[in-house]
Amino acid sequence: MKNTISKYYPLIPVFIAYLIMFLIGFSVPGMWQMVALLAFYCALGQSWNIFMGMTGYVDFGYVTFIALGTYGMSLGISYLYHFEWLGIGIIFIGILLALFLASLSALLEAFIALRLRGAYFAIACIGINEGLRYFIEGAKLWGGSEGLIFSGALMQALGREVANQLTTFWADFSVFIIAALAAFLNMHYMRSKIGYALTAVREDEDAAKVMGINTTKYKTIAFLTSGLLGAGVGAMAWGLKLGYVYPGDVFVIHYTVEGIVVVLLGGAGTLMGPVVGGLIYGLSKYWLAIIMPGFQLLIFAPIIIIIIVAFPEGVIGLLKSRLRGTKYKMFIE
Amino acid sequence: MSLLTLMNVTKRFGGLVAVDKVSLEIDEGELIGIVGPNGSGKTTLFNVISGVFYPEEGTITFEGRDITHLPPYKRAPLGLGRTFQISRPFSSASVRENVAIGAMFGAVAEQKTSVDDSLGMADRYIDMVGLGAYRDKAAGALTPVEKKLMEIARALAMRPKLLLMDEAMAGMNPKDIDDMVNFIRKIRDEEKIAIVSMVEHIMRAVAGFAERVIVMHQGAKLVDGKTEEALTDPRVVEIYLGQPSDQVK
Repeated sequence: MKNTISKYYPLIPVFIAYLIMFLIGFSVPGMWQMVALLAFYCALGQSWNIFMGMTGYVDFGYVTFIALGTYGMSLGISYLYHFEWLGIGIIFIGILLALFLASLSALLEAFIALRLRGAYFAIACIGINEGLRYFIEGAKLWGGSEGLIFSGALMQALGREVANQLTTFWADFSVFIIAALAAFLNMHYMRSKIGYALTAVREDEDAAKVMGINTTKYKTIAFLTSGLLGAGVGAMAWGLKLGYVYPGDVFVIHYTVEGIVVVLLGGAGTLMGPVVGGLIYGLSKYWLAIIMPGFQLLIFAPIIIIIIVAFPEGVIGLLKSRLRGTKYKMFIE
Repeated sequence: MSLLTLMNVTKRFGGLVAVDKVSLEIDEGELIGIVGPNGSGKTTLFNVISGVFYPEEGTITFEGRDITHLPPYKRAPLGLGRTFQISRPFSSASVRENVAIGAMFGAVAEQKTSVDDSLGMADRYIDMVGLGAYRDKAAGALTPVEKKLMEIARALAMRPKLLLMDEAMAGMNPKDIDDMVNFIRKIRDEEKIAIVSMVEHIMRAVAGFAERVIVMHQGAKLVDGKTEEALTDPRVVEIYLGQPSDQVK
């Protein structure tokens, strides 16, 4: 039993980091927005890392899941707000819709794109993302390119006070929960058969098949998990929090790239990596925008290049290899 | 009933017939050497048996079950293990994890094992191949010979009934070859599994371990018989060395 628990020790520093972030945001006035932004990057990296870190497949279309999550929440509120008896239930229906849309697209994408490898997989995912965006705009689905605006509907359904609390606190708070859940699932997968199967897939997919591993099954599990968590982030951090959705705002590859940068800075395939990467990325982006508004990306790009050249395995990857063989090893993954 | 039966198996790559109407039977616990020059179709034959390629013609049966079009990951749990010509370790994982992966996914369905049991089982096979000292080393950091041994341990952890070894002895020095030959005989005796090992040209190794030899030539089976008879067969001598000089006109 002790053995089973000690397997999960690497979660301790991750949870402590999230707790400290939350407490700072909660107690220091004016910090909540910044902490929420950091939590968004951590959750984005943590969710994306489950698939990318474990399988080695780079999903450039990952933002599809976040976008569909946003749409799920938006549809739930926009179309159900006049059923007064639903009350706060529309938020949960929104979450369910987000998860439903994301799992539908994850399974379809897994069926089509997961047969491809390397650059072909990455491009297929971008294609699906762009295709979906133009389909929504062209077919005038869900408001088409005008999107859905539902902050008024939310207030009408739940009252000004509850709606305010939801958008200013609970939406951000649930991003923390999703980040922590993603870390837990990642850890759990790493320590179970799924993790071993995906290690084999990442290193040599053909050899893995000959070893008796149903590679499609395990890749799909990781893809679906990663997609559902992404949909959760979208539903909360974009849908509920902002109160509107436009296809041109959400199906944007830029966010996938941010997720990749977060993961690479911290260390791909590590548990603590997305937390550290999310903090480095979020903080520097935030401060650079204040110190040098307009020039932040110009300064940011070389910083990222330097970090990636200096620590190709990411900050945590480096730390992990330094701590190999010491007693601290069991706390870092 | 034989363990593995191939009936007229043909595998083509475009116009090239890599495996040409090969029929063969392998019984439980047999030690077989497959020899043949470069390009004679040995590796393709292995790939067809382990499911990497499906044959265009012919059938493959394993313990009476038709597996001709079964995907590789479903063949492994039936009792079919293999190693690769160029070692294919899961490099970032430790030796122990590599071998545990074999135990976890390759084992026969009713013997499916948990992660902890698999890691425990891995230790046994790592000791068997003599890699105990490198248990926690990353598999990618092993020497080529150690990688081969690790692959064998990984395949044995799948507890196969038939083990296909692709060029297990290529690039080894004579002492390592002798060790490997003794080792192959030992695991056959202890684990009671049929072993088919493929060897390109190291006759010292084939003569050492094989009880039966199958000679491949241009995709087809040329000779199939007892080791001494097969290796002294004039046709075999010819494909390796050419005709005796007094017959060359």
